[in-house]
Amino acid sequence: MKTRHKFVIGGAVIFGVLAALSVQGLQEMTVYFYTPQEVLAAPTDFQEKTIRIGALVQPGTVEWDARSIRLAFHITEDSMRSIPVVYEGVKPDMFREGQGVVVEGRMQNGVFEAQQLLVKHSEEYKVDHNQVASKEDYYKSVIQ
Amino acid sequence: MDSAARWTARLEIIAPLTLFACGLWVFVFTPTETEQGFVQKIMYIHVPSVIVTYLAFFVTFAFGIAYLWKRLLVFDRIAKVSAEIGLIFCAMVLLSGAIWGRPTWGTYWVWDARLTTTLLLFLIFLGYFLLRLSVQDREKEARFASVLGIIGFLDIPIVHKSVEWWRTLHQPSTLFKVQEGAAKPAMPPELLYPLLACMFAMLLFYGYLLLLRWQMEENQDQLHEALAQEVS
Repeated sequence: MKTRHKFVIGGAVIFGVLAALSVQGLQEMTVYFYTPQEVLAAPTDFQEKTIRIGALVQPGTVEWDARSIRLAFHITEDSMRSIPVVYEGVKPDMFREGQGVVVEGRMQNGVFEAQQLLVKHSEEYKVDHNQVASKEDYYKSVIQ
Repeated sequence: MDSAARWTARLEIIAPLTLFACGLWVFVFTPTETEQGFVQKIMYIHVPSVIVTYLAFFVTFAFGIAYLWKRLLVFDRIAKVSAEIGLIFCAMVLLSGAIWGRPTWGTYWVWDARLTTTLLLFLIFLGYFLLRLSVQDREKEARFASVLGIIGFLDIPIVHKSVEWWRTLHQPSTLFKVQEGAAKPAMPPELLYPLLACMFAMLLFYGYLLLLRWQMEENQDQLHEALAQEVS
């Protein structure tokens, strides 16, 4: 076997592996999370598998137990069908009812056990005109 | 070349003053954003850095094409120095985004489409300089770098559109948000105007860095040529 052939074969193997990895990575990257609808439509596909679901926190479902550091809530897209989520961990500062979140974890008996809870920030920026506190006080409260 | 030196001297004063004025505006006169609070101020570094990154790599792209067409080394020098500045600002985008992401999302980094394609942009232009270093012949270096600069720039439309094409953790564009059929920023004017000012200031700063580095590059190449003649 000529040296050139070895290079061609080796190169093809490396290229093939890279291509396979990037296709897999690309699929994971382009769909960073599933929606509750997709998960509820095919529950068996998502059993015993670590997945991410992105949805809104359904208002009125949040239960935060500071003593055991346990957060329970429902996520939904349309307020019609929702998935119950439990998360053992500190509640993020930006976590609110109606807020977009991405949870990573597994479905266990119809309940999504989240290992990670990310808050999805909306592209809307607002200023509350009624709440113009003194800037000095605000900066002090940030530092402390 | 003289007018370039004059403009460098002017921008050396104007750009830092404008940046300082923007800092005052942002931290003293801009109201606090309701949802995020103080961390929202990071946007005034993050978004202008994005704009400069886009522009800097566009300049590299355009002058890459110009070089391949006319084969004048001056075009390659401009492409090179612009890519340098773009790389720094791209790093600033990634860092400021990570610092903002921790309190807002709850994580410094996720492998979503926006963040991954931005990191890819950074790595492509890191490779761009490795490529330049690895080629000895100046003409060859310019040719290879131009091609990579043109290809690398093609990642920018992907970065920009990633939040629309794919599901990402990163929010879609605020500045170009389409409301009622027209692009309208989803931000009150009190927050928007300082942002526009910061972009302007950062662009001035880019202009200063570009002019400065370009002249250094010209001088360096002239020196190399003079030395080469001396030796031969």
